[in-house]
Amino acid sequence: MTELAEVVGDLADVIVVGSGASAVNAAVPIVEAGRGVRMLDVGIREERYKLPDGPLGELRRTDHEQHRYLLGEHFEGIGWGHMGAGAQLTPPRQFINRDADRLQPIQSASFFPLHSLAEGGLAGAWGAGAPCFVQADFEGFPVEYRELVPHYEAVAARIGINGEHDDLWPFLGELNALQPAANVDDNGRTILARYAKARDAVNRRGLYLGHPRLAMLTEPLRGREPTKYWDLDFWSDAGRSVYRPRWTVDELRAHSNFEFRANKLVVSFVERDDVVEVKARDVATGTLELHRARQVVIGAGTIGTTRIVLRSLEAFGKRVPIVCNPHTYMALLNANQLGKPIDETRHSLSQVCLVHAPAGPERPFTVGHMYSYRSLLLFRLMKDAPLPHREGLEILRHLSPSFVVLILQHADAPTAAKYCELEGPDKLTIEYALSRAEQDRIDDIEADVSASLRRVRCIKMRTVRPGHAASAHFAGTLPMSTRDEPLTTDRDGRLRGTKHVYVVDGSVFPTLPSKGLTFTMMANANRIGVGVARDS
Amino acid sequence: MRDEPTDDLRADADDLRTEALVFGRYLVGRDLNEALIERYCRANEELFAHEAPDAAVEYARRHPWAIPMLDAAEGVAGMRGGEPALLRKKLLVMTAIVETTPEYVAQTEPRSASLPALAVKLGVAGARTALHAAAGLALLAVVKRRG
Repeated sequence: MTELAEVVGDLADVIVVGSGASAVNAAVPIVEAGRGVRMLDVGIREERYKLPDGPLGELRRTDHEQHRYLLGEHFEGIGWGHMGAGAQLTPPRQFINRDADRLQPIQSASFFPLHSLAEGGLAGAWGAGAPCFVQADFEGFPVEYRELVPHYEAVAARIGINGEHDDLWPFLGELNALQPAANVDDNGRTILARYAKARDAVNRRGLYLGHPRLAMLTEPLRGREPTKYWDLDFWSDAGRSVYRPRWTVDELRAHSNFEFRANKLVVSFVERDDVVEVKARDVATGTLELHRARQVVIGAGTIGTTRIVLRSLEAFGKRVPIVCNPHTYMALLNANQLGKPIDETRHSLSQVCLVHAPAGPERPFTVGHMYSYRSLLLFRLMKDAPLPHREGLEILRHLSPSFVVLILQHADAPTAAKYCELEGPDKLTIEYALSRAEQDRIDDIEADVSASLRRVRCIKMRTVRPGHAASAHFAGTLPMSTRDEPLTTDRDGRLRGTKHVYVVDGSVFPTLPSKGLTFTMMANANRIGVGVARDS
Repeated sequence: MRDEPTDDLRADADDLRTEALVFGRYLVGRDLNEALIERYCRANEELFAHEAPDAAVEYARRHPWAIPMLDAAEGVAGMRGGEPALLRKKLLVMTAIVETTPEYVAQTEPRSASLPALAVKLGVAGARTALHAAAGLALLAVVKRRG
C-alpha cells in the first residue's frame, strides 16, 4: 500500500536538497535574488566534542582530558590499519558519516564510499584544497573555463582562498580574490628551498612545486578569523578559518527568505504541471512529508543525488556512470629536514602542492599535495610499522619531523566497469574497476613523480593505494552533456526529462581531472544558482 | 540489589590491570597511575570485548621480560598482512593512551637531534629490534604451540 505523505509548508519558490558545498553555493545567489528558498537536509551536527582553545602542542602538554577528543569517548579514534574513505577521520570529525550507511545503504564489492548526511556534507572534513580547473581540465564538459571565471571569483570572495602567484599559477588557474598564502611549515619550507635551487633540472622532468590553494583564511572574512596556526585543523574548527559549508548555512539563516529544515531525508520528487513535489522522510519522527516548490535544486552529494534521481524517474536497473579520482598515498622522507627541529606554529593542511606536467599546462597533468605528518599523533603511524612499540616510538619521534605524505590525485573518466545502479527503490549498487591501461598510467605517474622528487631530496619509503573510493571525489552519474539523452543534465544543470529540476553537485561533471573538484563544484553550483534565480 | 561481580569477571579485571602495568612499564619504563590503568581497562572493554583469549598476551602478562621479544616477533609476523595480532593491538592502545597523557609528552613528542646522534639512535633502536625479533620469533612459536 502506498504511504500517504503529509503536505508541509507553503509552496516555496525553490527547494534546495542538501546542505553541502554545492547546495549552499547554489542557494546563495537564489536567496540574494530575493527568492524564497527552503533547504531540506538530514543535517546531522557534531555536538559531542568541544576542543579547548589553544595550540595542539600546548594542549598535549597541559590538558589531562585530551584523550577524550584525541582518542574518542569510546576510543573510536584507534583503528587497526584499515585504509579507505574516512579511515583518517578523527573522533571530532566522525559525525560526517554518522547514520549515512544505515539510512542510505550501498551494495558493492569494490567501492566503499564515504558519504554524509551531516549539515555541510563531506566538506565538513575536507582538506580544503581549492584549485580552479583550467581549460585543459574542462575536456568533455559543455562548459568552458571562461564561463566559470566570474563564479570562481564569487565563491572565492565568499569562502576565502589563500595562495601564491608562483610556478603553479598556470596549473591552478587565475584567481583575483586570493588571500595571501599561508605560512609553510619547516618541512615544506626545506622542500621549497631545495626546489628553488634545483628548479631548472626539476622542471625539465615535468615537475613543479609551489604553494597550494587552500580554502583557509589568512585574513579575516565575514566574521571568520584567519588561521591561528594551532595545528588543529583535523580536530576542530577554531576561528572557523577553514571553510565549511555550514558557515554559509549560518549566513543564509540570517535571511528571512531562507528556511532550513533539518531531519529531512529527501526520497524522491515528481513534477505536476508547474509544481515540483518533493517527498522527504523526517528521520526523527518517521513521517513522510510532501514539500512543494516551483523549482528544485538537488545537491545531495553525487551518491545521494543519484539515488534520488534514479528513484524519482523510476530508472530501476539502469546503469549510470560514476567516476572518482584514484588516489596514491606516497610516504616520503624529506632528507632536507632530517634531525632538525620543527616549529609547532603551523596549520595541518597541505604544505606544498606538486604538479607533474611533462607536457605543460595545456595537456592533462597530475596534481598532488604534500602533508607533514604531525597532528595525527605517532600511534597512528605505529599501526602501519612492523616495529616493536618501544623502539618504534623512539624511531618515529626522531624521523616523523621529516615525514611527508604525498597524496596524488589521478584523473578519471567513465568506462563500462564503473557504474551505479538502483535495483528497486532502495538498493543502490556501485561497482568500480580500473582497466589495465588506466592502472598502467597511474603506475607510470607514480614512478616518474617518485624519481623526480629525489631531485629535491624527498625519498619514497612506501606507496599505498587506499581503495577506489578513498578520495571521496565522486562524480559523473548525471553528466552535463550537449546530447539530449536520458539521465543527463544540460549545460544549465537542468535534469533531462524535467522542466524545473536542477542538479548542482559532482553528479554533473562528465570526467574528473587530476585535481580536487570541490571549488569547481561550488563555482558551477553558483553558476547554476544564478540561472535558477534568473529563470524563477 | 546490586549484583556482585563473579570470580571470572574479577579475574578478567585483575588480568587487565596487570596488563596495563606491564605494558606501561614496557613503554615508558615506570608504573602508570591509577587513572591510566583504568583508562586502559575501559579501552579494552570497548575494543576487545569479543576477542578470544590469546596465548601471546597471556604469556606477556605473566612474563613481562618477554614483551619486547613477542612484540617484535608479532610485528614481523604481521608483515604478511591481515589483522594485527591481539598483543600488537593492545600495545597500540597503550601507546595511544600514553601519547595523549601530559606526563608522557616528553617521551612521545617529535625530537630533533644532530645527524650523528640521530644515526646512533636509529642504529641502536634498529639493532635492538633485530635482536628482539630474532629471539621473539622462536619464543612466539613455542608460546603458540603450548597454546
